[in-house]
Amino acid sequence: MEGKVIVVTSGKGGVGKTTATSSIGAALALEGKRVAIVDMDIGLRNLDVVMGLENRIVFNIVDVVQGKCKISQAAIRDRRIENLFLIPASQSDNKDVLTTSGVERVARQLRKEFDYVIMDSPAGIEKGFENSIVGANEALVICTPDVSAVRDADRVIGLLYSRSLNPKLIVNRIEPARVERGEMLSHEDVLEVLSIDLAGLVPMDEHVLIASNTGTPLVLQNESKAGHAFKRIARRLNGEADLPIEVPTHKTGLWRKLSKTLGLKR
Amino acid sequence: MLSGLLRRFTGQKPSKDTAKKRLQFSLIYDKLELNDTTLTDLQKDIVAVISNYFEIDKDSLELKVKRDDNVSALVFNTPILHVKRKRA
Repeated sequence: MEGKVIVVTSGKGGVGKTTATSSIGAALALEGKRVAIVDMDIGLRNLDVVMGLENRIVFNIVDVVQGKCKISQAAIRDRRIENLFLIPASQSDNKDVLTTSGVERVARQLRKEFDYVIMDSPAGIEKGFENSIVGANEALVICTPDVSAVRDADRVIGLLYSRSLNPKLIVNRIEPARVERGEMLSHEDVLEVLSIDLAGLVPMDEHVLIASNTGTPLVLQNESKAGHAFKRIARRLNGEADLPIEVPTHKTGLWRKLSKTLGLKR
Repeated sequence: MLSGLLRRFTGQKPSKDTAKKRLQFSLIYDKLELNDTTLTDLQKDIVAVISNYFEIDKDSLELKVKRDDNVSALVFNTPILHVKRKRA
């Protein structure tokens, strides 16, 4: 059976695309699936350092598309998680080096060799974005609960719809205490504005930066709340569609209980 | 919490409500943004239809999308030179 190609995109940069891609990919591999993560951010590669595989790059996705090497030569095997592979971006080329037809052809090949192919799209809606979505059957849109990320997500969702992709949303970096204080859009607010299906909710988590500092998979850290959320997203993608979406919460303090009883919360 | 208490006394709205409202408006406006070709095509079509009934000054007409806080409107302004007689 052919695998699925999932594109992870956001429009705006810096909302956690790379973290989401690597974590969901790793979590799917932990579920026993054969997973290839492809860094489509040509010229600005990052997945390799975040995943701690930067020292093992020989070939990259540009080499694969241009026929300079085989997929198996470019795919770096993660030694910590079985069945997880990374095909890195090239750092020297610019984004125009890939053709959509070339990427589409490679995506079809990848589907034959892997259960899941996760494409990490670059920020923006230019050529690099087009190349990332051309071979995709499914799409995930990442946004953070702020006005610029939500607006850009809306634009990207529109573009995905026009390519017959039906994206699902991940709201990242939710800070429950701030949501409760009315300082941050809640996920309900974001969903109401974007009218889109939800793939999952991910809380703000200090472990994300620490994991990327050391290049270790977030999903292997049991204390990480974000890692936990990404694992559940992966399980939902992998057939457990009914697995409930957990809403991030913070510890209940006396003040919160009190103000709730007094009806001070809005 | 304290901030909630404070807000209740000062009647201040939480900032996320403002964010949501601004987002909802800007997303609508973003989608209303027409590119130049659409606008020119629209103008051509409107002129063609109106010319069936009126003789208009094609040089001084004006087509604009006006935006207000709550509504968007398409405004077409043209001087009418003559009313055309309807042919049977």
